[in-house]
Amino acid sequence: MVGMSLLRTAAAFTARLNPLKRTCQSSNLLSRTVARSEQVVVRYGSHGKRMFIIKPTDFYDRRFLHLLKYYILLAGIPVAALVTFVNIFIGESELAEIPEGYEPEHWEYYKHPITRWIARTFYDSPVKDYEKMMALIQMEAEKAEMRQLQLEVRRHMREKGDGPWFQIQTLDKNLIDHSPKSSPDN
Amino acid sequence: MPKDHDKDVYPEPPSRTPVEDRQSSLPNPALILSKLFYYSVDLPVTTFRDIVEGIQSGKKSHYYHQKFRRVPELTQCQEGDYVCYYEAEMQWRRDYKVDQEIVKVIQERLRACQQREGPSYSQNCYKELQQFEQVSKAFQSRYGDLGAYASARKCLMKQKERMMAEQQQA
Repeated sequence: MVGMSLLRTAAAFTARLNPLKRTCQSSNLLSRTVARSEQVVVRYGSHGKRMFIIKPTDFYDRRFLHLLKYYILLAGIPVAALVTFVNIFIGESELAEIPEGYEPEHWEYYKHPITRWIARTFYDSPVKDYEKMMALIQMEAEKAEMRQLQLEVRRHMREKGDGPWFQIQTLDKNLIDHSPKSSPDN
Repeated sequence: MPKDHDKDVYPEPPSRTPVEDRQSSLPNPALILSKLFYYSVDLPVTTFRDIVEGIQSGKKSHYYHQKFRRVPELTQCQEGDYVCYYEAEMQWRRDYKVDQEIVKVIQERLRACQQREGPSYSQNCYKELQQFEQVSKAFQSRYGDLGAYASARKCLMKQKERMMAEQQQA
């Protein structure tokens, strides 16, 4: 037993002292440490050693962002180009005094050409909207007045009783056949 | 470029450019910075604007400010004449907007004056201060706490309350 461990120590010692592999030079011959070998700088011709990096999938995130950019720019770029060309080639209007005897159209009260186009093509003039509202108000006012009048007339006719509303029509008295009434005990 | 502001409305104090009396041979940093700003920002922007105006020259369209006729006010309407009420209400709303813009202009004047005068503004801009105080007091007393659903009727009722308070005081 003791001899085996002695033999093992001797084998390790001789292996360390191997002249073909001179790792330890001088100071640490008899100790068990091994000197660190120097790191040699390795230069690859490629991008380094190819690694298989394990990380969670970013397929869905990248697909979402790609589609987002695509759909935003699909309409965004034409709209931006349109607005740029309108601003450069057509340009905004200038403020001027209303000439004598001239009634400006309702779109000529706006500055930007796109606003003017929208007001000219789609919107009614504010004067027309005003008149429409006044017409509605007048119709509602007339209806309210008619209803008030009707209630008043009802009240009067119910009180006095000489109007046609609260009278029940009876038969004409000439239609009554009085002949069975002349002989009562028939 | 939009026209610069009217110089008579916001008068600037006369500038007193000091006579240059350089005693150091170091380059003037203010000059360097102003030249930098000129060449990097001012010149490209001005040339771009000139190009754009060259393209746009000729076919200029105009826009106008709409003028509204005065219609009878709420106090001059017959009772039950809802069309007259509507026209008076619309006129009151336009007048409310105009008064808000008037207050904004007076505020802007006071702000410009304070910016110009610096620490001594309470003495130098006395006129603007008085004007602002008067205008804001008048606005508060007429349109003050009417709220978001303000209407011509509510304003009229507020005026009635004000007159009754004045009569009680007198």
